[in-house]
Amino acid sequence: MNEMTEGHTVKRYDDEMIFLHRLVLEIGDLAQDQLRQAIQTLNDKNPSAARDVISRDQELNDLDIQADEEFINLIVKRQPMAKDLREIITISKAVSDLERVGDEVRKIAQLTIHIYDTDSRPPNRQVLRDINTMAAFVGNMLKISLIAFDELDALKALDVIRLDSELEEEYKSALRRLTTFVMEDSRAIGHMVDAVLGLRALERIGGHAKNIAGYVIFLITGSDVRHESLESIEKQII
Amino acid sequence: MQFNTQVVSPVTPLMVCTDIELIAAHDNRKTVGKISVTNPRMRCRNVNVFYGDKQAINRVNLDIGRHEVIAMIGPSGCGKSTFLRCLNRMNDTIDSCRVTGEILLDDQDIYDKKLDVVPLRAQVGMVFQKPNPFPKSIYENVAYGPRIHGLVSSKSDLDVVVESSLCRAGLWDEVKDRLDQPGTGLSGGQQQRLCIARTIAVGPEVILMDEPCSALDPIATAKIEGLIDELREEYTIAIVTHSMQQAARVSQRTAYFHLGDLIEVGETNQIFTNPQHKLTEDYITGRFG
Amino acid sequence: MNNGAKIKPGSTMERVNANLAKRYAKERRFRRMGLAAIVISLMFLGLLFGSIISKGYGAFWQTYIQLEIHFEPEDMDLHGNRSLEVLSAVDYGGLVKRTLREMFPKVKKRKEKRKLYGVVSNGAAFQLREMVMNHPDLIGRTVQVWVPADDDVDMLIKGHIDRHKPESERRVKDQQIAWVDELQRVGKIEKRFNTTFFTAGDSREPELAGIHGALMGSIFTLLITLGLSFPMGVAAAIYLEEFAPTNRFTDFIEININNLAAVPSIVFGLLGLAVFINFFGLPRSIPLVGGLVLTLMTLPTIIIASRAALKSVPPSIREAALGIGASRMQTVFHHVLPQALPGMLTGAIIGMAQALGETAPLLMIGMVAFIVDIPANMMDPATALPVQIYLWADSPERAFMERTSAAIMVLLAFLISMNMLAVLLRKKFEKRW
Repeated sequence: MNEMTEGHTVKRYDDEMIFLHRLVLEIGDLAQDQLRQAIQTLNDKNPSAARDVISRDQELNDLDIQADEEFINLIVKRQPMAKDLREIITISKAVSDLERVGDEVRKIAQLTIHIYDTDSRPPNRQVLRDINTMAAFVGNMLKISLIAFDELDALKALDVIRLDSELEEEYKSALRRLTTFVMEDSRAIGHMVDAVLGLRALERIGGHAKNIAGYVIFLITGSDVRHESLESIEKQII
Repeated sequence: MQFNTQVVSPVTPLMVCTDIELIAAHDNRKTVGKISVTNPRMRCRNVNVFYGDKQAINRVNLDIGRHEVIAMIGPSGCGKSTFLRCLNRMNDTIDSCRVTGEILLDDQDIYDKKLDVVPLRAQVGMVFQKPNPFPKSIYENVAYGPRIHGLVSSKSDLDVVVESSLCRAGLWDEVKDRLDQPGTGLSGGQQQRLCIARTIAVGPEVILMDEPCSALDPIATAKIEGLIDELREEYTIAIVTHSMQQAARVSQRTAYFHLGDLIEVGETNQIFTNPQHKLTEDYITGRFG
Repeated sequence: MNNGAKIKPGSTMERVNANLAKRYAKERRFRRMGLAAIVISLMFLGLLFGSIISKGYGAFWQTYIQLEIHFEPEDMDLHGNRSLEVLSAVDYGGLVKRTLREMFPKVKKRKEKRKLYGVVSNGAAFQLREMVMNHPDLIGRTVQVWVPADDDVDMLIKGHIDRHKPESERRVKDQQIAWVDELQRVGKIEKRFNTTFFTAGDSREPELAGIHGALMGSIFTLLITLGLSFPMGVAAAIYLEEFAPTNRFTDFIEININNLAAVPSIVFGLLGLAVFINFFGLPRSIPLVGGLVLTLMTLPTIIIASRAALKSVPPSIREAALGIGASRMQTVFHHVLPQALPGMLTGAIIGMAQALGETAPLLMIGMVAFIVDIPANMMDPATALPVQIYLWADSPERAFMERTSAAIMVLLAFLISMNMLAVLLRKKFEKRW
């Protein structure tokens, strides 16, 4: 693993830390996979697959609960200090962020059901194009933030924070595009609202990825950067 | 990965200390963190301790502020107890022990040749690892210090001192009906509080505690810790402890010693959540082989 | 684990059980050996006490003969002058002899008369003189006086002399036996508690010899030894243990003290002879010199024991006292010494017991002399109990053998009472909290 989790005099302590670390990565992988699947159902116009995605969210919730139990146990047994303490707190927070990513993914899957499981006319591809690009962007952010966590790479975490401001811009311009689209064709208003909800969910996932990146920076430097400007974060790291 | 090693590497500490004299005195053994405080009661500069040829403490600089509890932690044999014992010259009793450097108590060098060690120890009291009441009555234990220093003129004054000392040590209610019974008949925690009462009966300015809870059960430990917290209002306290949790609970500042060097000193919260030195980090996270 | 080692087959329990009986047997054997050692030593102790008591018991009883003495002024050549000088110059021996002749009028021959006189101790004359000196009004009266029998008669009465041996091999002749039997028949011979043994000094006559002089000599000697060696030993121990720095010089002193403790006591006697008697010119045979010599001898023992006692005081007590600002002196005298005192007392008692039983150095300084007078102070010539035992053991008379054992009993009683005192003192000081 890495030096945050290894080297304790008590070997079991290492094992427990590594287990938790891997659990986070596992939850992260599952969340990423869910996101991909949800977007896929949207593209495939497949509401039944979307239902599968929603039911798979329960798996994520179970892992979240398991992670909670594990780190409470670890706190009781080991009374972590310094970087172990930060690691535990980071893990705890990252897990709940990832669990919320799952919730957002569920919203996207619900979107598929809502759009394609009714008799109404399917939406224009144009409406859903932004969702696809943003999903790819957000998926990348999530991936980088998890790599940053795994490798304790503050620079990668910083990248995620940078990407988040790009995402904000992307989100705003996507909204603008949708607005123009609706102005041209007012019948598409129903689908547009769905699309906005989807974009909103993706924007939130990006926010969670940014949070995770912030925790990673806290884990490495010991200072909480979540509510600081990008410049001041950069100054602290470099 | 590479970034990470930079942060905790001992060669380039993240926080560079600002004390000029420190930088002058140290080369590769820079103490990480701020060694000085704005209202110091004791100031230690370039303190070295030798046992014969062996150097036990290596150029330690540290201030101890008024009304603060400073905790000294570190692995066994790191010199924290030795350093503590320098502060009231308890090391004088060891023949081979030699102390160099400067330790000031309120601007008075306590290692001054002309300074008498007896009044110094009245000013800087000490509580030891093992509760060590005298094999005398509870009353005599507390009264002994004021009596030998001639602090009181009459028996009734002495009674007042004994009562107030026992009260401040949180022991009065437990022993007021049996002051004439032997101090060694008390429980371990009570004995240790008796020792604290005995120390404060002399009216010291600084109280040194050398692992005061290591022989006690958790409840007695909690009582002593509560007492330390209360005593802080009147005294300056330096405590050596093996329990990091204890250091985190009772102290405002924490100093980490390693092989005779003062590695890091800083606010207790900072030391326990985000230590700057790799050695400190390894010690408090339990990574010493 | 157990790489290459041959392991017996079976589970751990089986393997352990296989050896268990052997292990317990070993333990039992060891316990029995210990017990046997104790039983044997107790047996020898019993044997020692048994033989001493059975031999010495008789010495506490002495045969007395009743004489009817007529204190006739004519017989005593007084002629009216009754000053003390005249009274003391009277031939009381003659008085005793006359009385004996009157008791056995049939004895006429000179040789027989001498035998008759030998029945009564020489001390009878001294006894009569004392009586008359104290009570001059006895003169002119007839008094029944119990006087000590001669030691041979005493032995005969106590059954230590075999009547069936040929006369030439006996110290008591046939005629004397007949007289004694006659006296016994008329009830004029009797065994009484031997107060002389406890009140008299040494004597050539066993029936007149007592232990008092030697006992006083021993007491004076020991008082001096205790008075000098205990304070000096304790002071030296405190200085070495608490104040002296550890360096080569103190190491040297320590080694020398340990060596001195092992030096044969006769060497101390020679030293005392050379220093106190030859150099300082003190008289020989006095308890003062004996005490000084024994002080030299016991000092190392007391120093070593006192240092051990000081070392056993937990350092935490010292730290506690120093930590609240007691000076070193206060630390030692308020806290360390009271804790160490019981141990020091034990050391002192061991030293004293050793000194009490010591003979060799006293021989060297002349405390082996034959001294009849009881010493009144430590400048009077005296002997000591063990020396007295040695002297008596050397004497040929059968009665002295008895007295030797009795003296040993007195010595042992003295030793035990001294130890009891020490135990009591220690109990008093040893207020362990």
